[in-house]
Amino acid sequence: MGAFGHYLTSHFATLRLEFWGLLVGGLATGFIYGMVAIGYTLVYGVLRLINFAHSEIFMCGGFASYFVMKAIVGTSVPSGFASIGLITLGVVAGAAGGAIAATALERVAYRPLRRRNAPKLAYLISAIGASYFMYNLAGKEFGRYNIAMPQLYLNHPVFSIFGAPVELYYLVILIAGLIMLIGLDRLVATTKLGRSIRAVAQDAETASLMGVNIDRTIALTFILGGALGGAAGFLFGLGSGVVYTMGFTPALKAFTAAVLGGIGNLRGAVLGGLLLGLAESFSVAFVQAAYIDVVAFGILVLVLLVRPTGILGERLGRSA
Amino acid sequence: MKFRLNKTVAAVTSGALLLIAVPLAGFATTSSAAAKPTYVIGYEGPLSGGNEQLGLNMIFAVQLAINNANATGKLPFKLKLAQYDDQGSGTLSPAQAQAAVANKKLVAIVGPAFSGATKAAEPYYSAAHVATVSPSATAAALAFGTKNNFMRVVAGDDVQGAADATFLVTTKGLKSLIVINDGSFYGAGLAAVVAKSATADGATVTPYTYPETGSCGGTASVSQYTAAATQIVADKAAGIFYGGYYCDFGLLLGALSSAGYTGTIMSGDGSWSTALITGTSPASAANNVYLSEAGGGNANLTGKLASEYKALSHFSANNATYAAQSYDATNMIIAALSDIMRPKSLTALRGDLVTELHKLTFHGVTGVIKFQGNGDLTRSSVVDFGQVQSGTINSIGHS
Repeated sequence: MGAFGHYLTSHFATLRLEFWGLLVGGLATGFIYGMVAIGYTLVYGVLRLINFAHSEIFMCGGFASYFVMKAIVGTSVPSGFASIGLITLGVVAGAAGGAIAATALERVAYRPLRRRNAPKLAYLISAIGASYFMYNLAGKEFGRYNIAMPQLYLNHPVFSIFGAPVELYYLVILIAGLIMLIGLDRLVATTKLGRSIRAVAQDAETASLMGVNIDRTIALTFILGGALGGAAGFLFGLGSGVVYTMGFTPALKAFTAAVLGGIGNLRGAVLGGLLLGLAESFSVAFVQAAYIDVVAFGILVLVLLVRPTGILGERLGRSA
Repeated sequence: MKFRLNKTVAAVTSGALLLIAVPLAGFATTSSAAAKPTYVIGYEGPLSGGNEQLGLNMIFAVQLAINNANATGKLPFKLKLAQYDDQGSGTLSPAQAQAAVANKKLVAIVGPAFSGATKAAEPYYSAAHVATVSPSATAAALAFGTKNNFMRVVAGDDVQGAADATFLVTTKGLKSLIVINDGSFYGAGLAAVVAKSATADGATVTPYTYPETGSCGGTASVSQYTAAATQIVADKAAGIFYGGYYCDFGLLLGALSSAGYTGTIMSGDGSWSTALITGTSPASAANNVYLSEAGGGNANLTGKLASEYKALSHFSANNATYAAQSYDATNMIIAALSDIMRPKSLTALRGDLVTELHKLTFHGVTGVIKFQGNGDLTRSSVVDFGQVQSGTINSIGHS
């Protein structure tokens, strides 16, 4: 057997041993990417622009939930219903922080430009400026170092899949992520607000003539995307703590996920996030952690070569 | 009219006096400055970013040494501190080095603090004959030549890495190790020494590289640690050594805790910081972790110096990693500068300072400091070991 054959055999053996653990971890990461990707795809749907300050909305959600948790949680580690209540509260605090930041961003960085019919480049520069402003402000106010989230539960294996233990932290992400993503999907597909968002995404001018309040719809779209991004910031912070630069890499990956799944497509964003999370997880074991981004972006390029509009394609203005 | 005239005369007289007084005051200041020139000692290290705590530990010690030296009033010069924040990054450090050497009053640098930043900045300092006395850059490859302008008051990673391997394999009896590095010049170098020494000591070593993440000044995804922890748990190694800095180490510890890893974990001086504990989620994941520091001697400022340090920094000198070494590095530069102080150009002064530092034997708070030609200490340094116990880092002995 040649060296390459030996390499494949040993790495497949590694994969076989670790498969289920990597799958669960990859799905957890993927749900976080998916939740952030929704923010990109929603805003792209209604404004046709990439909100490059979304990384800071993720960060604001993380810090908002951190401060709430710090104020509530004492020195002892909660358990049982107290833990469930605190996690729920953390998700709500993160979502509120993200939504408030997104609203401020829309009011200050985007709405004035929209009123002046500014070119798309102006939005881009405005977004980048807002991003720099927000993360530098956070660094100045909250410190430029990683801060651990108060412990909300005692992490332990809850059950195992084919011998691979599934830790409580991953379960929290999977359950919270699933509930929020299904909720958003239904909201956009079945409610009046969802119809407004889809109408504006399809044709803003016609939607306006049909009585849709464009400003309000865009503002609510930012709030929805911000809430999901902020909640993702909390879930991320639960495992990794919060720091002013925490949004950069996850948001870049989430943007990649949104493009991978088909920008403007909600289910595509989630699918893209999950695929990216799994690809990263397995590439750590199968290739090397140093190549994780090479693999992730390699997949993106390959998919776009075959399907330039992403896996599920652009579905602007449709229910999913 | 008389009154008005008097008022005018008074105003003119006051103005004239003022015009005379201002140049006189200026002359007085200039005369005083000429009698006692002001020199600048720079500090280069991470003063912002994910690993800023290590830089803060150091710069307050440098400031303390300068304050104390100025306060004696016996020096033939006055000293000022200039800070150069490289965030511990080799990408940012060349610009900081260029700014430092361009400072017309700068005579020497305490630092750079991080090894990768040092490697990138050294060509600029070397070309300008600026002595760099690092309290913490431990990469073995930084010590070379016969009159290196780079010197350090800590042992290199060849000493620290070998001691860490002996601690894990011989003292703790671990026969299978995973040796991780963060891809940095420092982390990869230290991990390589640990891996080589542990193998020589009879352990089986599996090496992994997990690059620095976006949360800690790098670009890699934090999610890599989720998969890494799964991989590490499946490997069933008895112990882990991490070569890198506390910020990413804390993230890895959190992931290892989530994945249920229960083996022995150790890291080097880049992780010896209380910020490791505050930055690890959950904080309990850092409990029982072993740390090493290549300082030797007294690792912390103590007594009156510790009180002065706390008054200046507003944090305790205990576990202020490399504060004592920074204090010594600064005082050694001041001592060397006093020895060679006579009127000369800045270029000559900088060059002579490098030569003088190589000649000097200095008795500091961390012990006797004398440099070899390559910039390493002549004494065989002791490596200190610590352990995180209930949220604090406690000393547990030395090599």
